[in-house]
Amino acid sequence: MIQPQTHLNVADNSGARELMCIRIIGASNRRYAHIGDVIVAVIKDAVPNMPLERSEVVRAVIVRTCKELKRDNGMIIRYDDNAAVVIDQEGNPKGTRVFGAIARELRQFNFTKIVSLAPEVL
Amino acid sequence: MWPSLRHRTLSLSSGAIHQWMSGLNRSFCSSVINATSTKGNSGNVVELLNLEEVEKILSDVRADDVRVIPVRKQSEFTNFVVVATGRSQWHVRNIAQALIYKVKQKQTGAKRMLLPSVQGQEGGNWIVIDSGSLIVHALDEKARAYYNLEQLWTSKEQSQNQSQELDQAFVKVRRKNNSKKPQKQCA
Repeated sequence: MIQPQTHLNVADNSGARELMCIRIIGASNRRYAHIGDVIVAVIKDAVPNMPLERSEVVRAVIVRTCKELKRDNGMIIRYDDNAAVVIDQEGNPKGTRVFGAIARELRQFNFTKIVSLAPEVL
Repeated sequence: MWPSLRHRTLSLSSGAIHQWMSGLNRSFCSSVINATSTKGNSGNVVELLNLEEVEKILSDVRADDVRVIPVRKQSEFTNFVVVATGRSQWHVRNIAQALIYKVKQKQTGAKRMLLPSVQGQEGGNWIVIDSGSLIVHALDEKARAYYNLEQLWTSKEQSQNQSQELDQAFVKVRRKNNSKKPQKQCA
């Protein structure tokens, strides 16, 4: 359940460290975003000497949420943190590697690029 | 009675899956042509494209530096990753178009056409054609160097072998005497 003002970790090597959600893309009056949704976010903390800087506005895909993700077969997946991957307008990831485990649902939401960069797919 | 019956059906279905998987293995290893004749007609989602066709199309459209990486051991979600380079954005888009055209051609006359999911077609830097068991990445040269997909997928394989190498590294080896001092002084 990601809403505006939620802080998220960054799960890639793009150079950002922490994001804050400011808008959920997809509908006009949507309250919460879940895994696989695209958000607009502000970089709150960044690694020095990297292309992305603090207070820059970027797009990101949510890859992990503390709120549980339910599958049709009864499986429930819940992570310890909220995390996102920074993407550009075309959907290409800004970083070259994704860290941590990632849900298989991202592939169904047409983020195969992120899934193919990830080390582990749940 | 019901639970037992259910159990039996379950075991039956799992057996069928095993058979299917073994069939899949065989088809990829030896007789690819057979597999297309049986599975291509049935319109199975898994068999939208097979490896041989993809390789042929990629050589026809002159994609550079095609690499096929079998990843069945490392990932559960796919069997093969194919990486190809295009010379320009147009070329990359044409590679994707050629693959989609092939899928459509294979299913001419079918009531419902099944198409693979294609991502990044507007940009042309990196297009992914995801047809279930086979994922084709078409990139331009810059993107390929930037994302370095082959290294990612092949290094995963190596990391499993690395532990063996580590074990070997800890085996005690007698150090070579490289000192230039005469032997008497050493003793």
